[in-house]
Amino acid sequence: MKITIERGALLKSLNHVQSVVERRNTIPILSNVLMRAGQGQLSLTATDLDIEVVEATTADIGQEGGTTASAHTLYDIVRKLPDGAQVEITDGEDGKLTLQAGRSRFALQALPQEDFPAMSAGDLPHRFEMPAEALGRLIDKTRFAISTEETRYYLNGIYLHMVEDGAPMLRAVATDGHRLAQADFPLPDGAAGMPGVIVPRKTVLELQKLVEEEEGIVRIGVSDTKIRFEFGGVVLTSKLIDGTFPDYTRVIPEGNDKDMEVDGKKFAEAVDRVSTISTERSRAVKLNMEEGRLILTVTNPDSGSATEELGVAYSSDALEIGFNARYLLDIAGQLDGDKAVFSLADSGSPTVIRDVDDESALYVLMPMRV
Amino acid sequence: MNKVRRLSEGTINRIAAGEVVERPASAVKELVENAIDAGSGQIDIVVVSGGRDLIRVSDDGCGMSPEDLLTAVERHATSKLKQDETGREDLHDIDTLGFRGEALPSIGAVARLSITTRDAAADTASKLTVEGGTLGSVEPAAGPEGTRIEVRDLFFATPARLKFLKSEGAETQAVSDVVKRLAMAHETVGFSLTSGDRNLLRLPPAQGDLFEARLSRLSGIMGNDFAANALRVDAEREGVRLTGYAGLPTFNRGTAQYQYLFVNGRPVRDKLLTGAVRGAYMDFLARNRHPVVALFLEIDPALVDVNVHPAKTEVRFRDAGLVRGLIVGALRQALAEAGHRASTTVAETALGAIQAEFPGSAQGGAAGSPAGSGWQDGARDWVPSSSALQAHASAQMPHQQAPQADWGSGFGTSARVEPENIQSQALEARPLGVARGQLHETYVVAQTADGIVIVDQHAAHERLVYERMKEAIAANGLTRQMLLIPEVVELEGDAADRLARRAEDLAELGFVLEKFGEGAVVVRETPALLGKLNVTGLVRDLADDLTELDEALSLKERLEDVCSTIACHGSVRAGRRLTAEEMNALLREMEATPHSGQCNHGRPTYVELKLADIERLFGRR
Repeated sequence: MKITIERGALLKSLNHVQSVVERRNTIPILSNVLMRAGQGQLSLTATDLDIEVVEATTADIGQEGGTTASAHTLYDIVRKLPDGAQVEITDGEDGKLTLQAGRSRFALQALPQEDFPAMSAGDLPHRFEMPAEALGRLIDKTRFAISTEETRYYLNGIYLHMVEDGAPMLRAVATDGHRLAQADFPLPDGAAGMPGVIVPRKTVLELQKLVEEEEGIVRIGVSDTKIRFEFGGVVLTSKLIDGTFPDYTRVIPEGNDKDMEVDGKKFAEAVDRVSTISTERSRAVKLNMEEGRLILTVTNPDSGSATEELGVAYSSDALEIGFNARYLLDIAGQLDGDKAVFSLADSGSPTVIRDVDDESALYVLMPMRV
Repeated sequence: MNKVRRLSEGTINRIAAGEVVERPASAVKELVENAIDAGSGQIDIVVVSGGRDLIRVSDDGCGMSPEDLLTAVERHATSKLKQDETGREDLHDIDTLGFRGEALPSIGAVARLSITTRDAAADTASKLTVEGGTLGSVEPAAGPEGTRIEVRDLFFATPARLKFLKSEGAETQAVSDVVKRLAMAHETVGFSLTSGDRNLLRLPPAQGDLFEARLSRLSGIMGNDFAANALRVDAEREGVRLTGYAGLPTFNRGTAQYQYLFVNGRPVRDKLLTGAVRGAYMDFLARNRHPVVALFLEIDPALVDVNVHPAKTEVRFRDAGLVRGLIVGALRQALAEAGHRASTTVAETALGAIQAEFPGSAQGGAAGSPAGSGWQDGARDWVPSSSALQAHASAQMPHQQAPQADWGSGFGTSARVEPENIQSQALEARPLGVARGQLHETYVVAQTADGIVIVDQHAAHERLVYERMKEAIAANGLTRQMLLIPEVVELEGDAADRLARRAEDLAELGFVLEKFGEGAVVVRETPALLGKLNVTGLVRDLADDLTELDEALSLKERLEDVCSTIACHGSVRAGRRLTAEEMNALLREMEATPHSGQCNHGRPTYVELKLADIERLFGRR
């Protein structure tokens, strides 16, 4: 194999694929990126056996072929090369890969491309397309609520499925058992009949990075065990979490009758300010609602207390409720519109939070007992 | 198919003997208990080859008449169970150690037993021998008032049992353990234990009031260190009284073996004690360190069942929760009263380390050099001034840790307090004294009225912050995060019931659960302090704790782990230079804070060296 490629193009592609590669591996070749040259293109592949990212980019092919070398080393080298440098990569007879740019020359230990594990997506019976931006939104709105706790593995991802009450929707849901986030997008053609799938956390994070830069259309293929996203020159294939997502609809309360309307941005700022008083991670913000106003309080026996009052639209009975400040901030960060509405029942029941103008996303938060 | 038939008397006795007498130590236990029940003032025990060849127990108790003697070796014969008018024995009202009437016949069934006894009414003693279950006849013999029992060739009648005996040393150790336990519980009785020609234990009857006598007996058994580091425990709740002594947290051991519980004078091993002690000492000791305690529980015999096991080492309390609460409460109380006290062994270890560094400094200093005598003469009327003492103390310490040059520069940059104002005089009278300087920006050196104190500033401050957090939690309660999706945890056996029964205690710790059908619990709220946690794992750990120790330790331990991490980050680190005011404030706060003598892992936060100790180092004493 022998190729020449501009440093910027190589860096971009390497950047996309290398983050899939784990820092430490028991199987050495998993630290490597697979490079294949052919038909005017250089294709880079990285995998951790659960996710595979393939990206193709145009390159000047001197000789077709393929090899593998350490993804992180390669990325670090290319990153440090000067802008606009032409990078020449050759695989030698001696099991080494040579990278040359300007006067720099690197010889890296290579492993044969035949040993690189290939991930077969198998048959992906459900295929549909949606704008990259819409996919990005589904992820953005729900990602923060994904659980990191390993015993309930089925919560370690975003549950992507279709709902059909009313207009058919493609819905993303994530929860960690304390709060829940849900976002909808009108069901794309071809998605009808797709199974509900749980996309793992790591895939979600990788996908989010890749989709951010993309403006076009994402083609999605789903089977019971795999999901594949294709856009630009990138193909991301991932295994799905083999588990049953809990029946989340049961925890979204329907009968919450006390509505409070508040400016989401101001609310977030106020929560942020009052929670300064306590540095504990379990800090609780107390919300006191009465006619027309909301009082936020944080008390820390060590350092004092903080109070802030906000004007809100609230006309039900007075209510006091406590929330974890971190969780409130996470949710407040997702409210884009001017007005957010909190639907409450009492101080021991879940609260629903959503944008007034945006019916397509909602958050459920469980209070604390203070 | 064989016919069902009754076993012969001899076989029955041998089977019963297997339960009561499983090794020499259990024979010793039965015999010594008999001697104690006989009201003896002195009990002498002799064993040869770990008790296999000979066990001899002599007492000066009430003895037996020749008629009683014959009955005594029959199975289920005892003088100890009271009969009511209708002739029924009450197994729930037991105030003696023995009552089953099994010891002598059991021993007689498996060994060559000889009993020589004389009661107050008789002129001569009587002697009876039993060999492998064969009864001899009662013969007159010479002997003082009391009973002497000899057991020779134990297990000669059951060779299989003989094969399972451990080494001579191990069996002797077991005998000694048994005797020690009984001796602890009966401080007014003198004990001696001889193995072959070695004297293992010699304990005169202890004098003084209950606590004094107990303490002197306990230190006779556990060593004098225990007396110096023990806290008095005395508590009563609903007619149950707990007395005894508990070791300071810094006086800890690597095993839980040195935890003794006595119920109405009967040594017992009970998981309840282990759990309660671990609970009480929890945030003072690392998980693998164990405190030393000896606790005596006095309880209405009707409220405790000692007839659980032939060896009577296990007991059942009618209200285990009350007893557990009493133990935990009393220990916590004793520890809180100890305030900042750290164990004396800490200072001894420190001195030991210094002395090891300068071999012969204790005794050889004066005689070693010709100038020595003159120096000592001169020193006789040299009253140590505080500054000179400080110089001595600080010059001595760094030798262990750093070369002289390094120390010199370290001291130059470290803060130093000038002992000039009058206020410092007053402070010297305080237990932790007045700060004189800081060494290596890590250790605060303070002068007290009769010595010096070296404080590890990080460990000490960490403990202070930790205690403050605990106080805040106690005052405000734990905030609980309610779960949006309650977690159902399936458990084996009756673990779910056990958890549900303790639901109230758990709720206090911020963990709300309830039973969910058969064999499962549903967790609804968790302590916010723990953030997102592995609920299933915690519930299982808790269930195991309750099974094993009857105490929900895992949860407390996790909460404390989090608190101590926060405390660690929120406290003054080693390497921070402190001003005089800061150092003195630290000392004052340590004095005012309970449990400030050790860090969360039972390491001391300060070391106190008495002037006398320091003078010894310099050969002045």
